[in-house]
Amino acid sequence: MQILNQRRTTGALLLTALCTAPIAAQDVLVQASKIVVAFGAGETKSTTLADSALLIRDGKIAFVGADIPPEARRAARVVDYGTATISPGFVLAATTLGRDVDLGEGAIAFTPDLRTAEAFDPWLEQLEQLAPAGVTAFGLTPSARNVAGGIGAVGKPGKDRGRLLAAEVFVGFSVSRTARNQERQPTSLMGAHQMLRESFTEARDGIKIGPDLAVLRQVMSGQRPAFFYADTFAELNAVLEIGASFNFAPIILGGSESDRVLQKLATRGAGVVLNTLNPSMRLAELELPAKLTKAGIAFCFAGRPDQLRLSAALAVRHGLDRSTANAALTRTPATILGQQANIGALRSGCGADFVVFEGDLLDLGARHVATWIDGKLAHGTLAHSKLAHRTGPNSKPQTNISGGR
Amino acid sequence: MNHSLLRIAIACTTIAAPALSQDLVAIKAKTIHTITGPSIEDGVILLQNGRIQTIGKAADVTIPWSAKVIDASDKVVMPTYVLAHSNGGMRGANESMQNVPWLSVADAIDPASSYFEEMLRNGVGTIHVLPGNNTLMAGSGMVVRPFGRTVEDMTVADNTGMKLSLLTGNGSRLQKIREMRRAIAAVREYLADYEREKAEFEKEQAAGAIPADKKWEKEIDRKQKAAVELIEKKMKGWLYVPSFAELDEALRMSKDLDLNMVLGANLDEAMPLLAKLKQPVVLDSTIEYFETDPETRKEEQHCSARMLADAGVPFALSLGAGGPTSYPWWQIGTCMRNGLSKQQALEALTMVPAKMLGLDDQVGSLAVGKLGNIQILSGDPTSATSWVDTVVLEGEVVYERSKDPRLKYLFEAAEKAAEPQAPKASDNSKKGEGQ
Amino acid sequence: MTPLLRTAALLRTATLTLALGALAAAQDGVTAYTNATILPGGKPAMSNATMVVSGGKVIALGGADLKLPDGANVVDCKGKTITPGLIDASFQSGNNTQDLNEQSDEVTPNLRVLDSIDPEDPRFARARNAGVTTVHVMPGTRNVIGGLGCVLKTHGTDPKAMVIKEDASMRIVMGSEPSSGNRAIRGGRVNSMYYRRPTTRMGVIWEVRRAFYDAKEAMTKTQGAPGDAPASPGTQVLMEVLQGKVTAVTTARSEQDLRTALRIADEFGYQTVIDEAQDAYMVADELAGKKAVVMLGSPSAEGVGGSAGRDGAAPRAGTVAVLAAKGITFVITTGTNPAALPLINEAMFAVRNGLGPQQALDAVTIEPAKLLGLSDRIGSLAPGKDADFVIWSQHPLDPAAVAESVLINGQSVSQPR
Repeated sequence: MQILNQRRTTGALLLTALCTAPIAAQDVLVQASKIVVAFGAGETKSTTLADSALLIRDGKIAFVGADIPPEARRAARVVDYGTATISPGFVLAATTLGRDVDLGEGAIAFTPDLRTAEAFDPWLEQLEQLAPAGVTAFGLTPSARNVAGGIGAVGKPGKDRGRLLAAEVFVGFSVSRTARNQERQPTSLMGAHQMLRESFTEARDGIKIGPDLAVLRQVMSGQRPAFFYADTFAELNAVLEIGASFNFAPIILGGSESDRVLQKLATRGAGVVLNTLNPSMRLAELELPAKLTKAGIAFCFAGRPDQLRLSAALAVRHGLDRSTANAALTRTPATILGQQANIGALRSGCGADFVVFEGDLLDLGARHVATWIDGKLAHGTLAHSKLAHRTGPNSKPQTNISGGR
Repeated sequence: MNHSLLRIAIACTTIAAPALSQDLVAIKAKTIHTITGPSIEDGVILLQNGRIQTIGKAADVTIPWSAKVIDASDKVVMPTYVLAHSNGGMRGANESMQNVPWLSVADAIDPASSYFEEMLRNGVGTIHVLPGNNTLMAGSGMVVRPFGRTVEDMTVADNTGMKLSLLTGNGSRLQKIREMRRAIAAVREYLADYEREKAEFEKEQAAGAIPADKKWEKEIDRKQKAAVELIEKKMKGWLYVPSFAELDEALRMSKDLDLNMVLGANLDEAMPLLAKLKQPVVLDSTIEYFETDPETRKEEQHCSARMLADAGVPFALSLGAGGPTSYPWWQIGTCMRNGLSKQQALEALTMVPAKMLGLDDQVGSLAVGKLGNIQILSGDPTSATSWVDTVVLEGEVVYERSKDPRLKYLFEAAEKAAEPQAPKASDNSKKGEGQ
Repeated sequence: MTPLLRTAALLRTATLTLALGALAAAQDGVTAYTNATILPGGKPAMSNATMVVSGGKVIALGGADLKLPDGANVVDCKGKTITPGLIDASFQSGNNTQDLNEQSDEVTPNLRVLDSIDPEDPRFARARNAGVTTVHVMPGTRNVIGGLGCVLKTHGTDPKAMVIKEDASMRIVMGSEPSSGNRAIRGGRVNSMYYRRPTTRMGVIWEVRRAFYDAKEAMTKTQGAPGDAPASPGTQVLMEVLQGKVTAVTTARSEQDLRTALRIADEFGYQTVIDEAQDAYMVADELAGKKAVVMLGSPSAEGVGGSAGRDGAAPRAGTVAVLAAKGITFVITTGTNPAALPLINEAMFAVRNGLGPQQALDAVTIEPAKLLGLSDRIGSLAPGKDADFVIWSQHPLDPAAVAESVLINGQSVSQPR
């Protein structure tokens, strides 16, 4: 407890220090030989800029590349990553940050109106693992233990503490094995399915009212995305049936057998958040990203943050195109979480959340140089070590940086 | 080997006493499956003093007036089945200690066990009883007939071999293999020590240090005797190989020991090794099994009997302790479903096990001079509706279905139900006759 | 044009115009299976017979003189035997029985086993490859009233598409199974949902009685005052059972449980099928009197050497013959025996135990079809019926028989052995 308090105090002091600095002085110009504004095949404009820069103001991207006004460029502090590539930070679509205890109400399995935001601890140790893995935003889901777990939030890690970006974003459901335990209703998939069927019917027909059913109505009206933990065929089938009966497009969490319901997923417009991949998985699971993409189903990854890059690389090895793989780490999860205006890309107005890699990030040998979150360095170094000898007119000794060109 | 009957037979021939009338039995049959020769329609078998004296077409055989006639002229006659490996009929088939080569099943066989009754009901006449599969070096087995009040009554041959097993219990597979190697090495060490000591004694005797008339008196330790015989290849080993994974080690062991292998069902991974088996093997009672492909999660059905047949290795079938595999006709049917011939399947329950036991001159087929171990079936031995009606062991009727109390118990309700509605019952009350 | 040809042409046109996707894809015209021994189900065997299949249906059945439609594919089945696809009226699906029992309540009449079906469950493939084309799946046996069963064909990728009858039955379980694991509250902390009723056989019956009592009560209410709140979904199912709209299936093994099953059905006035009736031979007269249909689970387990009595039952091999002699309608199933043989072999054991072969085959084809109310579609081979059939290497009750080809809706669904 003592240590925890101490940590909080230090953090708080640091935060105060940063906040009191003059706003104008906070403009930062980050340069690199390549900047990827957004990944994904759906982009119309060319999204990769060569020898370009980002201007960060108030923790957000203010201008990108040629749009940066010259005066702002001159006034800004410069961070130059030289030959490295800057791309949007990774978005971990779903996580409980290892705090299932706090995020799964044990007594009953039907708690759709609980809010994960209220169990979010910005000082949680697990948050510290995110920036080193390149993760700059995450969906905070209820635990998979409850059939209707509650309302999920979107949060961000930081150098010292995390913060919530949006408190009420999606609704977390589960029909997976963990939601069916022998302690309370339901103990079986039949029971879980029936529980969902009955409560959605009650919500739709207005048989009963209450805050819990109001949340289900938000799902049916499309106001909130619905996330469902489901892995096996029967579980996926249950979710898709509920989706079809009550006319919404579920987002599947897990979905290790989703290759068996591709057609139904596509028809329903469902998305899939796969577990992070590793080489010991069955071939069928490693091929899932490519199969889902071919069927026109959006997917991304959740699970172990340190295996996000590995997952994307394995997906590429098993037939996925690189652009979709990169998007699955960034733009796709941002869209699935309905936060595409804030995260997952480096457009003006988005949070200044990005990762710096020496080389292609799908090349597992590429060095992870830095992670920035909200315009601040959260992991890695401010400068590219190879550029230490370079100097230029904008060089500012106090920033420990060699300047631009 | 201890053939009680063989001795009687020899005694009879030497004394050359005239055959007693009660020793002469004639069996009239619709069909005789001899196994080794062609089948005989409308045949007769004459048994004298427990042995087959004549076998042939009814037209060619004169039945002596003194013969006791068993009329099976609408039935199928064939040799009783032979089981080369069984753990049944014992009280406690598995010793909890792992290395107990000095034990013998003679001390565990319970003549009153319902297992022997069940075997007779199934037409089995010769059973090689061995210790269970849970013990590393488990003791020696014996061949019995499933009839008799005492173990001595039942005995056909004793000390028929040492049961060894590579079945993994709690430990790892590798540990089991290591234990087996150590156990065998320990016996070799003991034998080497014993022989060195004996050589030294002889050397010293030759040198005059020990009086010339003194004899070497030390015998091999009773606890080691059976194991030493195994090492010296004076005794056969019956090695249980639970799966493909132990087959390699089993093949290595068979280079140094005289081994018969008893194979578990799961063999599909060892297909290339199977062809290396030179000797006939015994198969576990489970010969058909499913395996799931971990990648596709699809099941595939395999049949170990089929695999061995494909590899050209002769095999003997076993019967399970309960359930369908305890019925010979089901085991035969399983072989046939998997593409084996009826003859192949029948041999796997007769001639092949008889040869493995070294009793092929006594049992396993119907031929002149062999023991009169005969089963009379209501129909074809491969049919589900055939029942064993009579079992004759060494010329003596030891089982009659009409007097089987267990069957009476199981079917009495059906018989009672069928009585008042005689016309309707005609279809239902037929226990098995034809389809 | 002969009537047959006209039928064929009509059917083909119908198939095209209705564009029944699956059927049209399955059927490239007409196929004739000739020279076969056909055991059509419910009728005597036909030797040297021909069956014509089109559009997923049987369109003609006849002797060697049957005129084949022009352009029909001919499959010579010389030496083979054709039977209807087998129907397993009590088939256990799911590797995990946990998902077949909703244990949070002892009485869950409205839960649907269909919600837990996985078409790639290897049991379906096993059954299919052994000639079973239709199965009746029920919830597990751990609840007093487990829920609704459904009837499925054994081939498909989507349970909804495989189903041919939803809500086909409601399972009630007698005996000790529903109470096992439950504990009475005797002070102390209640830290598990298993501190509950029933803990005895009496308690099990009490649960059944209470459930049906509530349903009867609800029925009178809804009849009397239309403004009443609708009954709970579970009670609604029980009401349908009482009205005879949903078949009650009572799992009862021992004599005691069999009598109780009949008594409680009498008490509330519903007709029940008796499942797993191991001791049926002891109550044969009562079963005959009540015209109760009996499901015999896994006769192979009641073999001569076995002692497969469960829950206090003392099964006898002669049971099948007793039921046949007493004129009791019965079907043979694999039931809840985890070591059950393929259904055809279960029928084979029934024949060994004294049943006539025709009756044994009927007990896995036309009888279960009747029991499930589907005999107009499945269970026998006749014009207009689903083309679900099996081509056997020899008479199917021979232990050496192999299902060489299994067809559902005229389409081959089995893997070569």
